[in-house]
Amino acid sequence: MLTQSVLLLGDNMPSRIFRALVWGWLASAAFAAAADEAAQPPTPASLGRAIFFDATLSASGQMSCATCHDPAHAHAQSNALAVQSGGPNLDVPGFRSVPSLRYMTADKFFFDSEGTPTAGFNRDGRASSLLEQAERPFLAAHEMANGDAASVTAKLAAAAYSDDFRTVFGSDAFDDPDGAFLRARFAVEAYEKAASELHPFDSKYDYFLSGKVMLAPAELRGFALFNRPDKGNCAGCHPSMRGADGAPPLFTDYTYDNLGVPRNVEIAANADPAYFDLGLCGPERVDLAEHTDLCGAFKVPTLRNVATRQVFFHNGTFKTLRDAIHFYVRRDTDPDEFYPTGANGVVQKFDDLPLEFHRNVNTEEVPYDRHPGQAPRLDDGEIDDLIAFINTLTDGYDLATDTADPARNVPSSH
Amino acid sequence: MLRTSIPLAALTVGLLAAMPARADEDTLRKELDALRAEVGALKAEVNQLRATSQAAAPVATTSATTSSSGAAPATAAAPALADRTVASTPPVPAASSGIVAGDGTRLWGYGELNYNHPSGRGADAQADVRRAVIGFSHAFNEDTHVYGELEWEHAVVSADDAGESEVEQLYVEHQLNPAIAVRAGLTLIPFGFLNERHEPTNYYGVERNFVETAIIPSTWREGGVSVLGTTDFGLSWNVGVTTSQDLGKWDPTDPETRASPLGAIHQELQQAKAHDPAVYAAGNWQGVPGLTLGGGVFTSKVGQGQKDFLANGARLTLGEVHARWEPGPFDFSALYSRGEISDTEALNLSFIGNPYPVPKSFWGGYVQAAWHAWSQGDSSLAPFARFEEFNTAASFAAVPLGLGVPPAETQKVWTVGVNYYLTPEVVFKVDYQHFDFTDLVLGYGNRFDLGVGYQF
Amino acid sequence: MKKISRVRWLLPAALMAQPAFHAAYATQYMSLAEAQKAAFADAGEFRALPPLDAAVANELGAPGWSPQMFEARTVDQRLGWVIVDRVIGKAELITYALALDANGAVKSLEILEYRETHGGEVRLPAWRKQFVGKTAQEPVRLDSDIKNISGATLSSRHITEGVHRLLQLHQRVLRAAG
Repeated sequence: MLTQSVLLLGDNMPSRIFRALVWGWLASAAFAAAADEAAQPPTPASLGRAIFFDATLSASGQMSCATCHDPAHAHAQSNALAVQSGGPNLDVPGFRSVPSLRYMTADKFFFDSEGTPTAGFNRDGRASSLLEQAERPFLAAHEMANGDAASVTAKLAAAAYSDDFRTVFGSDAFDDPDGAFLRARFAVEAYEKAASELHPFDSKYDYFLSGKVMLAPAELRGFALFNRPDKGNCAGCHPSMRGADGAPPLFTDYTYDNLGVPRNVEIAANADPAYFDLGLCGPERVDLAEHTDLCGAFKVPTLRNVATRQVFFHNGTFKTLRDAIHFYVRRDTDPDEFYPTGANGVVQKFDDLPLEFHRNVNTEEVPYDRHPGQAPRLDDGEIDDLIAFINTLTDGYDLATDTADPARNVPSSH
Repeated sequence: MLRTSIPLAALTVGLLAAMPARADEDTLRKELDALRAEVGALKAEVNQLRATSQAAAPVATTSATTSSSGAAPATAAAPALADRTVASTPPVPAASSGIVAGDGTRLWGYGELNYNHPSGRGADAQADVRRAVIGFSHAFNEDTHVYGELEWEHAVVSADDAGESEVEQLYVEHQLNPAIAVRAGLTLIPFGFLNERHEPTNYYGVERNFVETAIIPSTWREGGVSVLGTTDFGLSWNVGVTTSQDLGKWDPTDPETRASPLGAIHQELQQAKAHDPAVYAAGNWQGVPGLTLGGGVFTSKVGQGQKDFLANGARLTLGEVHARWEPGPFDFSALYSRGEISDTEALNLSFIGNPYPVPKSFWGGYVQAAWHAWSQGDSSLAPFARFEEFNTAASFAAVPLGLGVPPAETQKVWTVGVNYYLTPEVVFKVDYQHFDFTDLVLGYGNRFDLGVGYQF
Repeated sequence: MKKISRVRWLLPAALMAQPAFHAAYATQYMSLAEAQKAAFADAGEFRALPPLDAAVANELGAPGWSPQMFEARTVDQRLGWVIVDRVIGKAELITYALALDANGAVKSLEILEYRETHGGEVRLPAWRKQFVGKTAQEPVRLDSDIKNISGATLSSRHITEGVHRLLQLHQRVLRAAG
């Protein structure tokens, strides 16, 4: 309308001057708007996001962090493979299933005052921070397979955001390959800490804890079973209560447990009968090799979004949540449901552990404290209720439709 | 001066007058005695006057400045001097009551060391320095004091040890007039018999009774302001506004919350959340010597206004009544206390499945009889018996789908024993306690106990 | 100058009695002159007696113990005595005045200064009235012929011991003196 009225103005000098002024004002407004968007200075976190999604940073050119940690799938894998394959041709198989990157907060690994292994990043806690953890995926042969820092740095220098990288870290940021790689990982860590989509706390359970929604009867019954020390006792390792400071629960106590999950033949490395993934005491982690009582123990992960997973436990041996819960509840009452039976007809319980480490398996905590002949701690109806409750831990809850979708709160543009 | 000079003059004149007359030895002696007495009295008066004249100057000045209307300045001096009690004679140091640490500063203390032997479970026998307490007070002037008590429990305090060290009381007290005083700081809530007077010489039995630890969470202290006073017809009263408990500390997995609900959520003025003020009122009537009747009420919201906390509206109300009668050598007492917490439904819903949700009500009561059977000099012996009944989770707010926990069972404890007072401030105790339950925290019932306690 | 008057209200129905004091210190409950007058309204003179002999003081009480003793007299007669002594309460001193009649029996016990809030129950008239009529022949002992006050054990014990001591003092010294 403004332009129409301007065009309708006459051609005398005052009108011309007036027209020029108006055009000038419109043009500068448009410039300002465009400049605004580009004017946000880059931060380590914004760089980290760019790096997180940049597939050119891999040997194959097709794998970024987000490839395995898909935001739409609660930052975990989007397929039902036990392990993912990487390398230059995406054909080198991995060793452990992909964990969700959501709610990854922890400290450096330590033994607490009672000697209990606690905290750390990776399934065996060997990385002391997100900064340290980010190193392996860039370099490992079965992941992005860059081989060394120089290779990563070269790709960073060629990336679309390399100017922003220099802005944030200095014009000589790419001169030192190790330094540049460190800064790139620093940026990824900053993104992981700052991104709200990685800690949304918007599940139905969070609404329930704030008094904004009531759980359905099956979910409530499942919640009770989750907490009861004589039934599910899940809260024993996956605490469901607010912290003393009012912080919402993360459903992990950051300790480690050895469940004796069955060996998964889908993992290529397991074709060698002498290969065992022993978690805390090796083979990927090396500093605790003498702590043989810890062999077979893996970190307790968060249960938030666990209902969206397609593979369960460190070796992806189970494919549904129900199967995983069945294992907890019936591992000792019906082991033949989970472990192979040998030629001699004996069930090979704890077949993913060498014989001398079978005694490390947790057989004392409810619900896996049963003996053959005893009834499982949960029957099928109770397992249904428990699953109903665990589904309330999925992010992206919508009050109006009573549905949850972890993709709901992920920003569309990255 | 006038008063004494006349008799003196009279005496002298009389003596002089009597001298020339024949003096019987007896009369002489009598007169000498009388003289001696008079001189002595005069000496005493002179001493008194000398001492008071030093104190009189400031006293007279203050009296002058604080005089009410109608006072006659001229006659004030003499009564003022006579009124002032001379503060120069020391009191008899009664059986060790406090140490004078400096001008106006006093130290006192108490402690108890206990031995518990559960019946039939020798491996659980335990000996412990239950507590050692040092108390201090300082008088800034006649009307203003600070009081403090510092406590060490279980002998050794460190990150790896079970001991605790704490400030049990710390408050300033000002006497407004002889009947009313004001306190500000960390003070003891004036409930029951034990909370304010919990020295081992003040109760029967090795351990403090369960009702006054599980229901009234002795030693219960809060920070705030209180006003207290006494009346001539025998009522001592105490009202205050203080901090209160923090329901956000309730851990439904912790058996401590079932052992003592208020003990599990107390704050002890340790960076205490102070959003919700408590008010309390308590009183004791002792108009008939030997008889005490009293009670109190304490009420506060206990959610402390925390963000997203599901029980910000929960209100705790705790009340108690007690009676004590001490006819002759006997000592009978009884106490009943009951607490209620409202608005726990939403919080307990988030605790479903856990074994110890927040109770709606809890109560306890006991009756006790003691007999000071024997005494000789400072020592005395008092056998006693006590029966207690209490329930720390008598009822819960309703939970949907029957997913709640049942109310706790009422628990009963019998205690019989003897307190032997070597002196009134040193006590040796022995008792036997019979429980009809297995104590959640102790892990056993029935035990034999020995104790040593002192107070100075 | 200080106005020596005091109005004391006793309101049986009310929860609080509000004595209005004009004392120089809030811990002074009653002055010595007031106590003397209250015990012996007829006395014209309160004659100060010489301080105790050191040996007697040491034997009856402790070294340095020196209570103030006054004889209450009319012109020609001794009506009794008023003795001012101090004992310790919990942490502070209690100054009290014991009035004895001509035969050495307790006429009244008044608390003059009470310097702390702990154990102040000994000020209760009902408790102090227990001492009236006691003589040196009686035990004057807590939990025996004097009832305890729950919650004021220390101050009630020390005051009871003090009265007992003063009665012995009368027996030994005051009774004989002219």
